[in-house]
This record gives sequence, C-alpha cells and structure tokens, in this order.
Amino acid sequence: MFIRAPKDFWSGLMFLAFAAVTIVTASGYSMGRGGRMGPGYFPTLLGIVLAVLGTILVIRSLIIHGDRVERIALKPLVMLVGCVVLFGMMIKPLGLIIALPVTTFLSAFAGDDVRWREAIGLSAGLTLLSLIIFVYVLGLPLPVWPDL
Amino acid sequence: MMDVLSNISLGLGVAATFQNLLYCLIGTFLGTVVGVLPGIGPVTTVAMLMPISFTLEPVSALIMMAGIYYGAQYGGSTTAILINIPGEASSVVTSLDGHQMARQGRAGPALGMAALGSFFAGTVATFVIAFGAPPLAKLALQFGPAEYFSLMLCGLVAAIVLARGSIIKAIAMVVVGLIFGLAGSDVNSGIRRFTFGVQGLADGIEFVALSMAIYGVAEVIVNLEKKDGAAGIAGSIGKVLPSWADIKLCIPSVLRGTALGSVLGVLPGGGALLASFSAYTLEKKVASEPRRFGQGDIRGVAAPESANNAGAQTSFIPMLTLGIPSNPTMALMIGALMVHGITPGPRVMTDRPELFWGVVASMWLGNLMLVVLNLPMVGLWVRLLRMPYRMMFPAIIGFCCIGTYTINSNVTDIAVMAAITLFGYLCLKLDCEPAPLILGYVLGPMMEENLRRALLISRGDPTIFVSAPISLGFLIAAAALLLIVAAPAIRQRREEVMVE
Repeated sequence: MFIRAPKDFWSGLMFLAFAAVTIVTASGYSMGRGGRMGPGYFPTLLGIVLAVLGTILVIRSLIIHGDRVERIALKPLVMLVGCVVLFGMMIKPLGLIIALPVTTFLSAFAGDDVRWREAIGLSAGLTLLSLIIFVYVLGLPLPVWPDL
Repeated sequence: MMDVLSNISLGLGVAATFQNLLYCLIGTFLGTVVGVLPGIGPVTTVAMLMPISFTLEPVSALIMMAGIYYGAQYGGSTTAILINIPGEASSVVTSLDGHQMARQGRAGPALGMAALGSFFAGTVATFVIAFGAPPLAKLALQFGPAEYFSLMLCGLVAAIVLARGSIIKAIAMVVVGLIFGLAGSDVNSGIRRFTFGVQGLADGIEFVALSMAIYGVAEVIVNLEKKDGAAGIAGSIGKVLPSWADIKLCIPSVLRGTALGSVLGVLPGGGALLASFSAYTLEKKVASEPRRFGQGDIRGVAAPESANNAGAQTSFIPMLTLGIPSNPTMALMIGALMVHGITPGPRVMTDRPELFWGVVASMWLGNLMLVVLNLPMVGLWVRLLRMPYRMMFPAIIGFCCIGTYTINSNVTDIAVMAAITLFGYLCLKLDCEPAPLILGYVLGPMMEENLRRALLISRGDPTIFVSAPISLGFLIAAAALLLIVAAPAIRQRREEVMVE
C-alpha cells in the first residue's frame, strides 16, 4: 500500500469513524433552521468539520512521509483497563474493602518489575489510607463493606 | 486603587480564616508531594486530587485546588532539577541549567532560587490579577453571544497554535472534545444526545471520568511502556539558601521572567509552558556570556521558574473572568467549579466576590507557604524522588477509580473512564495531544449555546459574527494565528522552540 505516514493515516481514519458516528447519530435529532437551531445542528456541523479534517489527514498521509506507529503495549493496556472495569463491577456488591485492594494488587502486575510482597503491602496500605482519608475524614459516600 | 485595596482586604478576610488557611496549606503540601513524584505532572496531580475538594465549600475547594496546582508546579521543578525528569513541559527548561547545577553539587541554591523567584513572581502576578481582572470582567459583561462565540473560537485556536505537534490533529481533537461535551440531555430541547440509550449518560460524559482516564490511567500505561532505568539523583544538595552573589545576579532575570510570564499567562494556550520557554530564550539573548547557559547558570533557573509561576497564576484571569480555560489545568478548575454548581464567567466577580477575591488572596498566601514549606523540606523531597514507579502507579489507578466513582456514585462513570482510557491511549499513540480535547470538552456546551443565541438574535443570519466589531476582531485574530502558524518559517521556529 501507499501509506507514507501511518500515524497520520490511522488518526485520520479514527477521526473519520468518529465523524461518521456523530453525523449518523445526530441525524436522529431535529436540525432546526439557522434562526432556531435544533439539537442536531451543532453536532452535525462538528461532524462535518471533523470529517473534513480526517480526510485531509488521510490524503496527506498518502503523499507526505511521516512517523510509523510504535508497538502498542498490550499488557499494561488490557490489564489496567481490566482493573478499572473490575473495580466498577466490584464496588457496589463488595464494597471498597474488597474492591480497592483487589484492583490495586492486580494493577501492580501491569508493570514488568512485580514484587509480590510489595504489591500486597501496597494494596493493604492504600486501602487503609483511602478508608481514613476518603471515608472517615472526607465522608465521601462510598460503600465500604460488602452488601449482603 | 481604593477598590482594589478593599477587594484585596475582602479576599484576605476570606482566605485568612483558619479553615481556608488550612485547606490552602493542605493543598500546597499535597500538590508538592504528588508533584515531586517522578512521572506525575501537574495536570495528573490536579486531576487525581480533585475528589478531595468535592465535599468542601466552593471557596475552600477552589483555594485548595489552586494550592494543589502551584504546589504541583513547584514539585515538578524540583524533580526537573534533581533528577532531570521534568514533570511537565513547563519545567523542561528548568532542567537544562537546574540539573547541571545539581550535578555540580549546587542543587540547593537552584531549588532555593526557584522558590524565591517563584514567590516574587507569584506576588507580582497576584497584583496583576487584582488590577487586571475587574476591567476585563466588566468588558466581558458587555459581550453578546456573537462576541462570546468568536472569543471562544479564538481561544481554542490560540490554544492549538501554541500547543505542540500537528495542527490538523490538534483541531480535530478540539472538535472531538466539543462533541464529547455535547453528550447528555440538551438544555433546550430536553432530548438526550449521544447517550446510545445508556441511562447513566443522561447527564453527559462525566468530566472527572474523562480527565482521570486521560491524565490518570492512559498516562500510566504510556509511562509503563517507556521502561526507563532508575534516574540518578545528585548526591549532595548543598546549602539551600542561595548566596547573596547569586541573588544579586538573578534579580534582573527574575524581574524579566516575571514580566514576561505575567503577560504570556493571560493568553489562551499560554500559561506556564510558553512563559518558561520564552523567559529562558530571552535570558540567553540578554546575557553577556550566553554560552554559560546550559552549563549550570543560576539565571537559567531563576528566569523560567519566575516566568512559569507568574504565568501559571495569571492564567487564572481568563478562567475566572471569561470562563475560558487557557490550558488543561484551568479546564480542570472549571470542571471542579461546575461540580460545585458555579459556572465561571464575568458574573462570578460581581455575584460571588468572596469567591473571586478569596482565591486571589489565597494565591499569595499559598506562594508564601510554598517558600516556607520547600526550603526546609528539600530532604524529604529527595527521599520521595527515590520512590520507584512500580509503587506509585497502582495507587494512581486506585485513586482514579475512587475519584470517578464518588462523584455520582455511578458505575457508568467507571465504564466511561475505561472506554475513554482506550481512546486516550490510542490518541497518545497516534501523536494526538489530549489537551485540546479537554479544552473543547469544557467549551462545547457554551459554544453551542452562544451560537444558538447569536443566530436567534440575527434570525439565522450568520453574518452577525462579522458585522459585530468585537466579534470580527476575535475572528480576525484567530485567522491570523492560524495563518502565521501555517507559514513554514514560523512553523519551523515553533518546532525548534518546543523541542529545544
């Protein structure tokens, strides 16, 4: 293929995809007229601008040479996003007392240099600290214990 | 003049209550502690510590957030000097001469001079705000929707032009941010836009989830793949107080840096970054022996440090008077104010004078605290610097999760954070800077509203934007900025300055 600037090419495609979703979704809202802008007016306008920008990026990437995309670090990406999702799934039924140490302990494994004891100590310490700061001092409404 | 004095005394009355002094102290302390940790920049620090302020009164919350911000800024400079890892772009130049000084065993005077210069700059900048903000707010009160729309457009363009990287990508990121900002219930029609049937998205994409995803989780992932070895810390720090000779040498540099920083900070997109770069360049031009710069010249620390502190502070002016963020940190501040139900804009000063002047006064007190805090505590910072990243990032993830959840006790926000993390990481991989996205997100709803109102007044005639003189002026400024940057010569120069 003739992609000369992969980074620009893929970002152009990303913006085009984003623009497509925006325009299609916004077409479900009333456009209104200039004097009475409907809820679909501004998003559609933005979608069109984004589509133009995406197209420029893609076309330019076929002409001008540019950077390659570096390798994607799959392990930290999947693990950390997974940890965030896991926290979301655990916080209500199980409470902070379980959700937080599990999340922080597992997220420690996203790095290359993992030390078991350190990770256990860290997650325990963080949980204690968070309980003190967020729950007892600041009184934020967090479920602390499992909801049985 | 009398007005300003009475306003400042009103502010001091608010800021100097025991409670607010305490929050200011906690803010500057926490900001410095987290900002010193290598790999955590000021924006991440502010984003991560934001939830702490949610339960406070709006005034106290803003005072604390401001404290966190300049604490983090100073902490970043400490890291730059001691281990040559600037926490944020604005302290890159500090590391040039600062780290050289540290390697020569003069880290102490470098840190001390940075603190003293910052304090002086902060004091001046506080007065710049006190004198400059009221007339600007008065002017802004006369702006109609057309002027506002054009002003925001101009602000966004300026922010893009002064950012780094590809301009087309930056504009596209702004547009994505604007679209993100529109999600949720439309104020006028009540229709839910871009919620894709998800109940939890009715109020839109939560700002905290967005900022934590990008500046918290995605940033951690990027840091983890860098895998740089442990940084060497300079052994001996030396005396912290700079000698009288050092101070005398630095006085003109501090003055120049402060003046430059105060002016540049007000510009959209300026803030601390542009200020410190320009100040350093200016010092190099003015100095009789420019070759000494880069080899541990104390003036190379004093000038950019004064400039970035002055700039960091005066960047509050457009945020507090116009409601327009000039950099991501100010966007975070606006987000935090909105959490408290306050929409920043020219009315804040008249409707909530205690908020405005309390924050201004607290900035000066906060700067004083920074000096008092930093000079004796350098030893502690050095120990914090030795903290390995593997001990820090799980904590960042944990705090991001807690912070995002507590804002609405809504699990959807966590899911949003996870999704935006994926998107944010992709953007970082493709060299699409996330800062314009955050600015766009904050301005999205306001731009739509002002566009709608302007067109309502003109009955759909779009020429209203060019027929109103002030609005036309903003548009011309925006177009001129874009054209200037598109010019190849200047473009090259801009890249040089940013890369240096």
